[in-house]
Amino acid sequence: MLKKIECIIQPFKLEEVKEALKKIAVEGMTVTEVKGCGRQRGYTGKYAPDAPIRLLSKVKLEIVTEEEKVEEMISTIQSLAKTNKIGAGKIFVIPVEDVLRIRTKERGRIAID
Amino acid sequence: MIEKKKKTNPWQHALQQLDEVAKRIDLEPWIHKKLRHPKRELIVSIPVRMDDGSVEVFTGYRVQHNITLGPAKGGIRYHPDVTLDEMRALAMWMTWKCAVVGFPYGGAKGGVACEPTKLSPQELERLTRRYTSEILGMIGPEKDIPAPDINTNSQVMAWIMDTYSVDRGYSVPGVVTGKPVVLGGSLGREEATGRGVFFTLLNTLKHLDQSIEEKKVVIQGFGKVGSVVAKLLHQEGAKIIAISEVDGGIYNPKGLDPEKVKAHRREAGSVVGFKDAEFITNEELFKLECDILIPAATEEQITEENAPQIKANIIVEAANGPTSPSADRILKSRKIFVVPDILANAGGVTVSYFEWVQAMQGYFWSEREVNLKLRDIMTRAFHRVLDVSLREKVDMRTAALMVAVKRVAEATRLRGLYP
Repeated sequence: MLKKIECIIQPFKLEEVKEALKKIAVEGMTVTEVKGCGRQRGYTGKYAPDAPIRLLSKVKLEIVTEEEKVEEMISTIQSLAKTNKIGAGKIFVIPVEDVLRIRTKERGRIAID
Repeated sequence: MIEKKKKTNPWQHALQQLDEVAKRIDLEPWIHKKLRHPKRELIVSIPVRMDDGSVEVFTGYRVQHNITLGPAKGGIRYHPDVTLDEMRALAMWMTWKCAVVGFPYGGAKGGVACEPTKLSPQELERLTRRYTSEILGMIGPEKDIPAPDINTNSQVMAWIMDTYSVDRGYSVPGVVTGKPVVLGGSLGREEATGRGVFFTLLNTLKHLDQSIEEKKVVIQGFGKVGSVVAKLLHQEGAKIIAISEVDGGIYNPKGLDPEKVKAHRREAGSVVGFKDAEFITNEELFKLECDILIPAATEEQITEENAPQIKANIIVEAANGPTSPSADRILKSRKIFVVPDILANAGGVTVSYFEWVQAMQGYFWSEREVNLKLRDIMTRAFHRVLDVSLREKVDMRTAALMVAVKRVAEATRLRGLYP
């Protein structure tokens, strides 16, 4: 089964996470600069329930992989993206129905190898 | 040694629990009366040819407490203390356990009064096959599905499956759970109870707004359940400061590495003698300064003698019935958060249920899928019980029993009374 790991992390953690993923043989990834907020609604200091939502800059990494590699990948990302503060990010694991490599028309597992 | 104490009669204990819950949820008297009586009980004599040519006769039991929600489910144990009353109580608790987690199962339990350590593997096989043959009419994938319990394992389940299948003339993997994977067992079954305890503890900490890191954990028992809980908690940053077994325990306030303890145990046969720790007795274990206590050994280990001295503020019952009724009252008055056995150790029956589902479909899941589904089910069950506990202002044990008895009662009401 193929899974997509989609994680939102602090921009300054990207370099480290990217290199560590390369070491555990991650072949490809997609990185996007994104904006968003979590439970704190963009406020890192005090609780401000009435203030407007603030969107903070983050990066999003997307990697498609085999199910067996998911745990290793998420623990790598988790340990490196950790900041010990709120707002370090989230990791989502999403089922992927199929993958197709456009150039070769390969499908499924071989399309990500 | 974990001394043998005078145990409460488990069946009286189970009935008393039911009576209390019945009062609290205003259970109709006819349903209450029905639930006080096991559906079926079978006592069998099991003649076994011993290796020296002589014949021994053992006594075996299978009790189905209730099958209103679906086929009965429950383990088979081999132990000298096995009695009809114990089987009845354990069968009733299985009814509640399956109901609290929400499976389409009733509760059963079986056992043979014997000392398995004194039997050769061949004698054990003959005993298992003859016992299976004696209870054959009672079990089956749609009727009653046994599983491993004390002193029974995947090999014993394979023998039961084989005996049953030979009788039918075709393979029936769905007749037991806890089978070897190659015979249709589920991935993740071995670790399931421990993993379920782990998820339950994480849910408990989240509810109490606490983090797992640096929590001091004491575990009694380092078998199939305790060792898995220790490993998972250690990975999450908790400190396992003490572990004990039948012959005593080990203690290190700085924390033990469960993998190293396991390696030592493989060689020495016990956790005792592990080099980075000092020896403690089982009684001392309960008095240790800690945050979380996990009894993962046998019944009635927390007693009215040691309950007042427990320092933990969270107890997760990985074993079945580790707390005596009088100790339970003490823990309640001391406001210790106790997650009861029927909820905390339901991971085992959960993956047994998965195994049965997979066997019925003939389609098998990956280990990751099993573990994710287990987490989902354990978390939902925890919250179902927690909601009742908060709403009705009762402890988690009472809440779990209320959820379970209500579910069985509702099904009984809907099915009505035949004729």
